[in-house]
Amino acid sequence: MAKLKLGLYWAASCGGCDVAVLDINEKILDVAQLADIVFWPIAMDFKYHHVRAMEDGAIDVCLFNGAIRSSEQEDIARLLRAKSKTMVAFGSCACFGGIPALANFASRDEVMRRAYIEAPSNDNSGATLPQVRTTVPEGELELPELYDTVLTLAQVVDVEYFVPGCPPPVDLILKVVDALATNSLPPPGAVIASEKTLCDECERKKENKKISRIYRPHEIIPDPERCLLEQGIICCGPATRGGCGALCIKANMPCRGCFGPPPGVADQGAKLVAAVASIYQARDGEDIARMVSEMVDPAGTFYRFGLANSMLRRKRL
Amino acid sequence: MALLKNTLAQLGVEEDRVRLEWVSASEGERFASIVNEMTEKVRELGPFSRDDGGENG
Repeated sequence: MAKLKLGLYWAASCGGCDVAVLDINEKILDVAQLADIVFWPIAMDFKYHHVRAMEDGAIDVCLFNGAIRSSEQEDIARLLRAKSKTMVAFGSCACFGGIPALANFASRDEVMRRAYIEAPSNDNSGATLPQVRTTVPEGELELPELYDTVLTLAQVVDVEYFVPGCPPPVDLILKVVDALATNSLPPPGAVIASEKTLCDECERKKENKKISRIYRPHEIIPDPERCLLEQGIICCGPATRGGCGALCIKANMPCRGCFGPPPGVADQGAKLVAAVASIYQARDGEDIARMVSEMVDPAGTFYRFGLANSMLRRKRL
Repeated sequence: MALLKNTLAQLGVEEDRVRLEWVSASEGERFASIVNEMTEKVRELGPFSRDDGGENG
């Protein structure tokens, strides 16, 4: 059998997904045996023009990490879609928008102002902002255009598989590699993770789902055996897909929701609002007011990884 | 409800678009007036558009 042609790309992401691929350690040799990597900006020297020169469908599998928030990222997503037989949204940003999609709480102008003018570490007295086109004596310079709204990969191109995680854990990556090697990928559209919620897979003791105070993680040292939500810590487990191996839970930290909504849940954040509100013991308006004041940044917490993928997708401007 | 309203406010959804009332089956008149109020309120606010997300939203 001819070797598979594998492409990897990063769009709006931190680079952690690419590092996660390297974290499979010696198994990377299996990947090298199985596949020729034909494009991987973080590790190899192929350029966009090499990809453009390929025939359509020349890449067997493209692992695409990162959300789409610039014209360059959208162009490359479309290019790689045309050149790839199978497109995989790799990691939470490509699947759901991820952390970069928190920018959807602001407009592009607000993002630019904050990043280039207001941030305390800036020294930009001329209030210079990046421009798509700038004329200099040597000619015109061009930068990709930043979008108002951060998009998921599937909002831009068709996607066959989704591998969630921030970053995807090693055993899930190996599952994908094995499925490629044995030609046993699930039907297109599948999310390669668990079909249960994280709560279903969590081994902590769950006794009494009632809380009378919400703690932020730095305000409490949690009991390592008991359900974190029952201890008043916002854990996204009830509305998050499992399959991650409960890594954060095992480190005594609450689930942050990076595996996205479980099957049957259209909006992860709305589900979390319901989960938290239903266990808070409020007898009167005073209790409710206290709960609301303890719940700092609810939308940012409930949609931490999933804003671009939510029903509203972004803040209305 | 308070939590939902706060969450929606962060997403730029007007507070008046969501309302929770408990109405008994025997309170027909109250039911009708709440529905009418809500209808008027939403009419005032206008259609909720997903096109308010900037250029590509």
